[in-house]
Order: sequence, then structure tokens, then C-alpha cells
Amino acid sequence: MLVDAFLELLNLWVLVAALVGIVSGIIIGAIPGLGPTMAIALLIPVTFSMQPIPAIILLLGVYQGAIFGGSISAVLLNVPGTPSSAATAIDGFAMARRGEGGRALRFALYASVVGNIFSCLVLMALAEPLARFALDFGPAEMAMLMLFALLVIVLFGGGSKLDALIMVLVGACAGIVGLDPISGTPRFTFGSFAFENGFQLIPVLIGLFAMSEVLLQAFDRETLVGDVEVPPLKSFVVRFVELWRMRMTLFLSSLIGTFVGILPGIGSTVPAFMSYSLARSRSADPDAFGRGAPEGVAAPEAANNAVTGGALVPTLALGIPGDAVTAVILGAFMLHGLAPGPFLFRDHGLEVYAIFEALLLSSIPTVILGLLFFRVAIHVTRIQPRHLLPAITILAIFGAFSVNNSLFDVWVMLGAGVLGFLLRRANFPLPPLLIGLILGAPFEQSLRQALLTSGGGYGIFVGSPITIGLVALTVLSLAISLFFSLRKPRL
Amino acid sequence: MRYTRRSTLALLAGMAITPLAAVAQQDYPTRPITLVVPYGAGGTTDISARQMATMAEKILGQPIVVENQPGASGTNAMRSVASAEPDGYTLIATTSSPSFVTPALRDVGYDTLADFIPILNYSGPFHGVVVPADSPYDTLDALIEGAKSGAVTYGTAGAMGGAHLAFASVAKDTGTMLQHVPFDGASKATAAVLGGHVDAALVPAYRDLVQDGQLRLLGVLDGTNDPDFPDAPTLKEAGLAAEFPSIVGIMAPAGTDPAIIAKLESAFTEVASSDGFKTFMTDLSQPVRIMSGENLAATIEENFAAYREIAKDLGN
Repeated sequence: MLVDAFLELLNLWVLVAALVGIVSGIIIGAIPGLGPTMAIALLIPVTFSMQPIPAIILLLGVYQGAIFGGSISAVLLNVPGTPSSAATAIDGFAMARRGEGGRALRFALYASVVGNIFSCLVLMALAEPLARFALDFGPAEMAMLMLFALLVIVLFGGGSKLDALIMVLVGACAGIVGLDPISGTPRFTFGSFAFENGFQLIPVLIGLFAMSEVLLQAFDRETLVGDVEVPPLKSFVVRFVELWRMRMTLFLSSLIGTFVGILPGIGSTVPAFMSYSLARSRSADPDAFGRGAPEGVAAPEAANNAVTGGALVPTLALGIPGDAVTAVILGAFMLHGLAPGPFLFRDHGLEVYAIFEALLLSSIPTVILGLLFFRVAIHVTRIQPRHLLPAITILAIFGAFSVNNSLFDVWVMLGAGVLGFLLRRANFPLPPLLIGLILGAPFEQSLRQALLTSGGGYGIFVGSPITIGLVALTVLSLAISLFFSLRKPRL
Repeated sequence: MRYTRRSTLALLAGMAITPLAAVAQQDYPTRPITLVVPYGAGGTTDISARQMATMAEKILGQPIVVENQPGASGTNAMRSVASAEPDGYTLIATTSSPSFVTPALRDVGYDTLADFIPILNYSGPFHGVVVPADSPYDTLDALIEGAKSGAVTYGTAGAMGGAHLAFASVAKDTGTMLQHVPFDGASKATAAVLGGHVDAALVPAYRDLVQDGQLRLLGVLDGTNDPDFPDAPTLKEAGLAAEFPSIVGIMAPAGTDPAIIAKLESAFTEVASSDGFKTFMTDLSQPVRIMSGENLAATIEENFAAYREIAKDLGN
């Protein structure tokens, strides 16, 4: 079977499809606001006339490329191209400012490839049993998992825990605006139809990270008067030993990414930040994180790329997509006669394994194309900010508008930009705000769903082995954090 | 080459002397038509509308540009098309929810019956009542019976959707404890019923999971049987006074010239009844269900009134 599937790949069109997919994915991902969902949706009609295998390989290449592409602008400009690369920006941009942008990009690339390969192998070996396992996560389990994720990010994300907690709560409160997830009634919409959709993630992300960066630099006199000194470009070399030393981080991050990817609806941003926090808490030198630690780049990149394989598990094995991207991929599979669901592996095993093998092998062109792309991209760091900022502003407005073709989103983006600017001036961390916005509404919904199914009894939150395990982990991390803060000498 | 240019010029001259109103009717369309989709790119509504557009372009002789305006369960796009110029150049491919479900619940800024002219219905996924394979409920009756002695939970794609409201009225009529649990999209409700976290789910796209024996189909919410499962009764056949007909159709803003509507209806109907379109929709696991604009208007009117009643009972 595996050999037959491999023979299917020995076709020029497969190679062309993979290259076109990866290149367009990287470019689209690097532009703030244009994410993998839009890229795949736009390319589906292009694949109509293609054979199923090259068509799907092209679209999955876009998916993988876009997730990785988001980290290029995150590292070089501090402007995450996709929400999941916001975690990469923290240490990646710090490295770029030291002139180590090339090295940061390489760490990101190699970690992405590790994450991809790991999750692909999991997908190939265990798709069906894991899809069964994912079904055990009902509303109560999801609520406890999200609580645990929030806690990990607040406790171990670095910086002041109180600041992080405040930001998470601000984000969660912003998530309340819109339609109530259980009763469907409008909340805090001020009678406006535009507010019914709530604050969308992409406009808020672009505002918080890209627009606030523009404002921050625009209000910095040094940037405006004369030339800013740009750091000289240092050596790009990443040695294998450096990666080998962080093997545990790469493994754990890939594991978190794959696992969270399998569960519906959490996406890749949360596992990226969880991995970052975990890598930091395990590190011998946690204070280096946030100041340009290579491990702080590698951990989130391994995780957010591992999500791709994980997210395909329930999509393909059960026909149940976990998020918008996989829903679009599901549609693409159906159009090419490979209907995902219980019969996919039985009826189309050959095609499916060929696609999996292509996903694995696509690491090779990804590395080659990535390294070529870096040679050009790295020079972005040598452009004077006053030349760069107008371009970022235009991309930000364009990106915010393009999500829903709605002008309201542009206003949300500008508002988030001003808020982000003020918060950054006051030294509040922005990532917890983003996580609060991402997890706030789903957490509320899961909590209330669980209580609806249990008839209002709180026992459901410790009613299954999974919830008990998650509650235990939550208590344990609280205890560890408390233990260390008590042991630390007070200043 | 010269010949073509001359004939084009002659055509242009001819157009200049024809009265304007007549041009609008006879020569329509003279420029690209926008077909708004109220959901994101890549979903089934979007993909089928794009195919519809591609195939209808050839008949109408002008490009049809699909524009996605997602958000607020489709009402944003409906509102924007309702206020568009009624010249036949802005159309919408819409579904049940923004046509007659959400408008029955609250002010959405448009009135489907007054602000739109339905052109045709071409699809509409069946919604099934599904339970896990090991569920004690074998029939709809058994499920309702079970809900008399204790709460039976059911998941749907979201709060105040058509499926939810249909079952809410069943619960009221039968005096049973059917507890609704809304999910964020039908796929998550399907996952919840597969995992046994809810007792039942009202979802589309159940075919393969039912055929594989992972789920059991007790009935469909539509007015007609699902051709793939002719034995699964509709709610009415099971003696319950409710239904949730699923529509996917094309509409134009009210005030559009009847001649233009007629032209569009014949073009889109030709596409929808073609074999090419049927094959495409089968690959997408979507049925082709053709209904004239008039019948679609009647379906919307009837269901809007029914849903208004249910919504009143629920206190909206």
C-alpha cells in the first residue's frame, strides 16, 4: 500500500502542485490578514480541472505554507501574518533586532518541519483511533482543557502574572460582545447590526500587533528624524547540535500541537502559546525568553505546524472539521470525489496514503524554498521604518477589510490598534489578550453546554477520567507556581 | 478582424438609438453580475453557488462574480443586497436561516417577503434526527416517549436556528423535556452526538456516518424524505406538527424588472437541471432540489409565519 501510494507521486504534476501550493502559501501567510482559510478557498476553483491527488496536495501545501509564512513577517517585522505566529514574534523579533533575523527564521523553519513531520506520522499511523479519542472530549472536557490552557499561559508565559491575568480577562470580556452562544440574543451590541458578529479575530490581531507597531514607531521621534541605525546582519548558521539540544522542547511542542489540533475548535494559536510557556518553564534560563531565545521561536513553530496534521485527523476519519480551514479542506476533498468520513480510508486508501506521503515529503521543498525565500526577505530588516510603516498600514487596512468584506472590521482593527498602542506603552503583554479573545467565548459556550447536559449539576466537571485528569493538571500547575513564588526571596 | 469591429460599431450605434428601458430588458445582462454569498468562501453554499455562477455565465453571456459577505448568520449579506440597486446586477444565493428563521426572531433590518424576489431554489441539505448507534431510542416516538420521563438532550448547529425552533415546538406540543444544547456549527454537534455527550442531534451531512453504523437516523426535519434513506420518516409522518425545510436559492432585490427575473429564472433553472450540475452536487454530497421562484416565495411565507409563532412561544 505505502509503495503503491508512493508510485502515485512519481508524476511531474504532483511536484508542480506541491511547489505552487507551498510558494503561494508562504507568500499569502506572510501578508497580515490573509490566512490559510482564504488562500485555500480562493485556490479551490483553480484545482477543479486537476486530478484529485495533485489538487489536494496543492491545497494542503498552501495550508502548511501559510502557517509557516505567517512567522516570516512575525520575526522580521513583529507583525504576525497569522494569529498562530503571534507567539513566534516574541522571541523571533527580539533576535531580529540583534541582527539574528536569519537565524531566527531558520530555527522557525526547522521547527516547523519537525512539527509537520511529527503530526503527519501521527496522522498516518493513528488517524482512526485518535479520531475516536477526540470524540470523548465533550463540552465538560473542552471547558476544563481551555481553563487549563488559560492557566498555563497566564502562569508560565513570562512577565507579571497579574498583568497577564488582566489581559486575559480584557480579551474574554471583548469576546462577550455579539450573540449569546446559548440563547442567541444580542449582547452589548448597542442596537447595531454590525456588532452582532462580535469582534473578529483577524481584525483584532492585525490591530493589536501590526497597527500598534506602526503607531508605536510613529510616535517615536528617533524613527521619524533621520535614519535609524539598523543592526548589521549576523551569521545565519544554525548548527544541528543547537536543534538537538532542544529536542525535548521540539517533541513536547509537536505533541501539544498535534493533540490540540485533533480537538475541534481550538485552532493553532493556543497550542503555540502553551508550548512557548511550557518551553520557558522547563528552561534552565527562563529569563532569556522574551529577549531572543531560539527555543522561544522553535517551540511555538513546532506546535502550530503540528496542528495541521492533528486537525486533519477528525476531518478525514469522521468528516468532522474542527475549524474554518479544515472545513474548507473537507469541501475540497469532497469535490475531488474523496468524501471524508468513515469510508474514506476503505474506499480511497491509495489516494489518502499518497496524500499523506506527499505531506511528509513536502518538508524537502519547504526547506529549500524557505531558505531561498529568506535570502530576499531578510533585507526587510534593513529598510528604514519610515519607508516600511506606510506599507504595513495599507496591508493592515486591506487585510482587515478582506476577512468579511466589511468596513466595520476596519474600524475594529483601527480601534484595536489604538488599544494595543496604549497597552504596549504601559508595558502590558498583548498575547494574553489575544488568547482571552480566542478562548473566552468557546469557554463560556462549553461551560454552559456542559451544565445544560448535566441539568445544572457541577459534578460533570469531574465526571470522567479526562476531566479528572485535567482538573488535576490545573491544580498541579497552580501548586507549582505557588511553590516557586513562595520559595523565591522577596525583594 | 475588421469585419468584427464594424459589426460591433453597428451594434453600439443600434444600442444608442434604442429606448433605454427596452435595452435594460432585452439586452440584460450587459455587464458582470454580482452573486453575493452570505457565508465564507469554501463552505458548501459557497462552492455550489460558484458552480452555479460558472455554468450560468455561459448562458447569460456575462461573468458572474461571487462575493462572500459572511457574518451574523447571513443577515449582513441579506441586508446589503436588500438595499442594492434592483437592476438585476446584484443577486444573493441564500439559505433558510437568514430567509425565514432569524427574521422571525428579531429585527434584522430587512423583510424577506417585501424586500426580495425569489428566483429559484436549487438545493437544500436534509437535516436528520440522529442518535448514537448504542442509543436506547429506535424511533422518533421512542425519543419523544423518553423525553416524557426525563430530560433528553439534543444538539444543533446553533441557538435559535431552524432545527432548534422546530424541536422547541415539538417539545411544547408534546409536553416533553427536550433540552436543547447549541453548538458552534453542525460539525461540532455531530461530534457531540458521536461521543455520546448529547442524546440526539439535528444535523445535515449524516449519510456516511449512518451507513457506517456509527449513528442511527430516526427521521428528517424536511417536508420530504431523504432519497438516500426513504424509510426515515419526516416529522409530520411521525405525527409531530413541525418541519424545517432546508432551502438554498437565489433571490434578487424587490423592484427588479419582471423580464430580468424571468430571464434569470430560466438560465438558473437550466443550469440546476443539467446533468453536469447534478454530478457536481453529488460529489459535494448535496441534493439538487429545484423549486420555482413562486413556490420558493410561498415556502418562505408559510415558514416565516410558522416560525414567528414558535418564536412568540419562546418569548421572543
